[in-house]
Amino acid sequence: MSGEQPITVTVNGEPRTAPTEPRMLLADFLRHELGLTGTHVGCEQGVCGACTVLVDGELVRSCLLFAVQADGAAVETVESLGTREALHPIQEAFREHHALQCGFCTPGFLMAAKALLDAEPDPTEAEIRDHLRGNICRCTGYTGIVAAVRAAAQQLAQEGDRGR
Amino acid sequence: MAADSAPHVGRRRLRVEDPRLLTGGGRFVDDVELPGMLHAAFVRSPHPHARILGIDTEAALALDGVHAVVTGADLAEVVQPFVSALERPEVRTLVRDVLTTDRVRHVGEAVAVVVASSRYLAEDGCDLVAVDWAPTPAVADPLAAMTPDAPQVDPDAPGNLVADIRLESGDVEGCFAGADHVFAKRLHAQRHWGAPLENDGVLASYVPATDELTMWCTTQTPHATQSLVADALGMPSAQVRVIAHDMGGGFGARARTSVEEAIVPAVSRLLGRPVKWIADRSETLAAGVHAKEMVVDLSVAVTNGRLTAMRADVISDAGAYSLFPFTSLVDAISAPAAMPGIYVPEALAYRTRSVLTNKSWSGPYRGIGQGVSQVVRELLVDEVARELEVDPIELRVRNMATGDGPHRTHTGFVYDGGSYVQALRAVQERMDYAGLRDEQRRRRAAGEEPYLGIGVGAYVEFSGWSGELGRAHGYPSDYYDSASVTVEPDGSVMVTTGAQSHGQSHETTLAQVAADALGVAPDEVTVREGDTATSVWGMGTWASRTAVIYGGAIMRAAGDVRGRMALLAGHMLECSPDDVEMRDGRVWVAGSPDAAIAFADVAGFAYFGTAMAGHAGTGGGRPGELDVALTSTRPYSPPQVFSNGAIGVVATVDPGTGVVAVERVAFVEDCGTMLNPMVVDGQIAGSVGQAIGAALFEELSYGDDGAFLSPTLQDYLLPTALDMPALDIGHLVSPSPVTEGGIKGMGEVGMVCGPAAIACAVADALAPLGVRIDRMPLDPDGVLDAIRRARD
Repeated sequence: MSGEQPITVTVNGEPRTAPTEPRMLLADFLRHELGLTGTHVGCEQGVCGACTVLVDGELVRSCLLFAVQADGAAVETVESLGTREALHPIQEAFREHHALQCGFCTPGFLMAAKALLDAEPDPTEAEIRDHLRGNICRCTGYTGIVAAVRAAAQQLAQEGDRGR
Repeated sequence: MAADSAPHVGRRRLRVEDPRLLTGGGRFVDDVELPGMLHAAFVRSPHPHARILGIDTEAALALDGVHAVVTGADLAEVVQPFVSALERPEVRTLVRDVLTTDRVRHVGEAVAVVVASSRYLAEDGCDLVAVDWAPTPAVADPLAAMTPDAPQVDPDAPGNLVADIRLESGDVEGCFAGADHVFAKRLHAQRHWGAPLENDGVLASYVPATDELTMWCTTQTPHATQSLVADALGMPSAQVRVIAHDMGGGFGARARTSVEEAIVPAVSRLLGRPVKWIADRSETLAAGVHAKEMVVDLSVAVTNGRLTAMRADVISDAGAYSLFPFTSLVDAISAPAAMPGIYVPEALAYRTRSVLTNKSWSGPYRGIGQGVSQVVRELLVDEVARELEVDPIELRVRNMATGDGPHRTHTGFVYDGGSYVQALRAVQERMDYAGLRDEQRRRRAAGEEPYLGIGVGAYVEFSGWSGELGRAHGYPSDYYDSASVTVEPDGSVMVTTGAQSHGQSHETTLAQVAADALGVAPDEVTVREGDTATSVWGMGTWASRTAVIYGGAIMRAAGDVRGRMALLAGHMLECSPDDVEMRDGRVWVAGSPDAAIAFADVAGFAYFGTAMAGHAGTGGGRPGELDVALTSTRPYSPPQVFSNGAIGVVATVDPGTGVVAVERVAFVEDCGTMLNPMVVDGQIAGSVGQAIGAALFEELSYGDDGAFLSPTLQDYLLPTALDMPALDIGHLVSPSPVTEGGIKGMGEVGMVCGPAAIACAVADALAPLGVRIDRMPLDPDGVLDAIRRARD
């Protein structure tokens, strides 16, 4: 393929190198080159937020970034959170509060929620809604999602207290 | 261990689906990769109506990485066209080539497929396909399409008319002639749709050596699609396997068989390679299953404060093709059929027409027909209340079915009863209706902005769509739906159904049903759906049918298996099968629970004559008469069943900007036996969220010339977390007297009653200005326009 060049991206803590066309989207790189299909693509127009990942700690829509722009960066995807046996507290809260139905938007919401709680451990409901407005959920009416993020904040705060 | 003990139906059980979906382990179409897979992209029409003079594929084929360019001519010999028919004399049978050869009828219609080694290259190839277009006049407005000189969309539908259906019941003329008052209004409901977040996709793998086709696709109806695609391709159904594991929403938009679901397998068959097509958002918007665009005229006769008669005239915009297989009548028939709603007029008449236009085809979206009927009817009921100076809740209560027993509507429905009045009264109390009216009076007196508006409504929702409900609608057809229940050798339970879960939590809730029916824990039950090779046949998941139909089928099949388990256990326990009890994974002789044996041991005995664990102590072989299969498949086709409920909406309207904010929603629903209240609440919240979009901003816009104006999610606006109000939910429980387990379906509630209650709240807020709502959505432009028209 024309113009391929190798890039190295640290994905969920592991350096990954793959030859990449300059025009390849980060979302496609993650999904199809690295097989990390947890990151979903809903619009490729930067609106729906399903493809949200963290790049060097910043929330990014991976459908609006070329993979080559992430060369040398650290990317975190939904696969960096918990596992089936040991869910991350945000994932636990989503399950407890029925914050997902079809689950397509969920990885993007989880990463957006993680970024929020990393920056603001005790957000108000208004702050949660404002922060999540860039992610569209078509199933839940957001009720469970907002409740889950509040609950996750409390859970993480308690764990932080215990860890101190 | 109360939490583990039966009954499990009715409990808040956390979802089985969640761990995989939360950890990025979902199995959506684009997550599947096959060896040797190629990628397809479609060349689509930029024109609303054009003849195709020629398609030059040479440059595309010359591109490195492009394997094929397939046109309609290439497919004409290998794919049969879609025939959309309803066995009624008033409905025209229309035929659609899955890939057109001569003419496009809407923006976004496919004309060619480019197949390449990557999606990027396939899209490059699309840019190089040169189509020689001859644009012809188009028509986008359904009323314009009915005029004599309008462009004709389909030669088989003269006058652009797909159907023209009339019904009259009772003395309509007499009621109107003798009425104290006659009220009338016309409502334009905008074109909008389910807008699932996962784009459409098809991965088809035809294997020449075995003549087998496997396809993964975004469908709510895997088995129907299997049958229809097999038919279109001239293959036996048994050689075709359709898989829809996880799916990013449907909401009715995928209760159809799409042309791409026939084209992509046909291309795979031509090439002998797996071919994947994942739509981008623009083509999903431009060529998806649109819905709900209607012009409805409704008039009501009112005598002594009672609605004595209704007369409705519905013009439903079909788009350019009649949907396959359900035809373009989905909204056109349901809207007038649902027109009585909760009310009991003495007489009713309707006429409904389905009209072709140069837009994408239309079909189901959550709350088919009912939602738009509710908007026009409830707005009109509020106008009656205002004119007669009666409180809108009291006017409704005076005119409602009580729900105390069955009620037959003039349109053919038989409501099975429920808490019709109680639900509305419960909403009245929950929202503090009297206090809100006081607050509204105070604010109006003080001239405070934004204006406060209150909208209320009661509803019935038709559910469990089976042959009986379909025929009551005027859909002359039967349906087959089944479930299988199998006890495995280790005592775990496999349930399969013909449903397809795309957010409705079937793996969780249907396991609760099976668990109670067999006397095991839900964790012992695995529910498998969405794969025609592993699941029994059914018409899929739409129209709030799954809980009723598949829940009932599971109860029946599990009852068979339980009887066989009792036969085996009777032998093991040396008692009559009639005296065997089963619960919580244990089996015992009535009265002797302490001497229970394990459910799993009985299962092992059935398969091997001894328990798998080897300690059941049966002391010998299994007598021949106990050679029973611990499996059963049962169909279920329920009678008509309707859930009910009520909604109250508090909204503010800024008369300067036209911005509407939904501040609070109170909701009381009654779906009879609840399988899982958490899931019920989730369906309410989700459908209320969609109702906000439907009422306030979602619109698939077309220019008068047929240009498509909503190709991105920046044009087609979806509700965000900022748009969703506080939601207060209450439940009433009136088990259905006519279904297995008393279950009623409720998956569409918010889209049945929500847009109407929001519209009523806006109309209420603006009532002092003399504003009448006659056009949806109520976006800022729409609201300001309504205010302007009231002033002029």
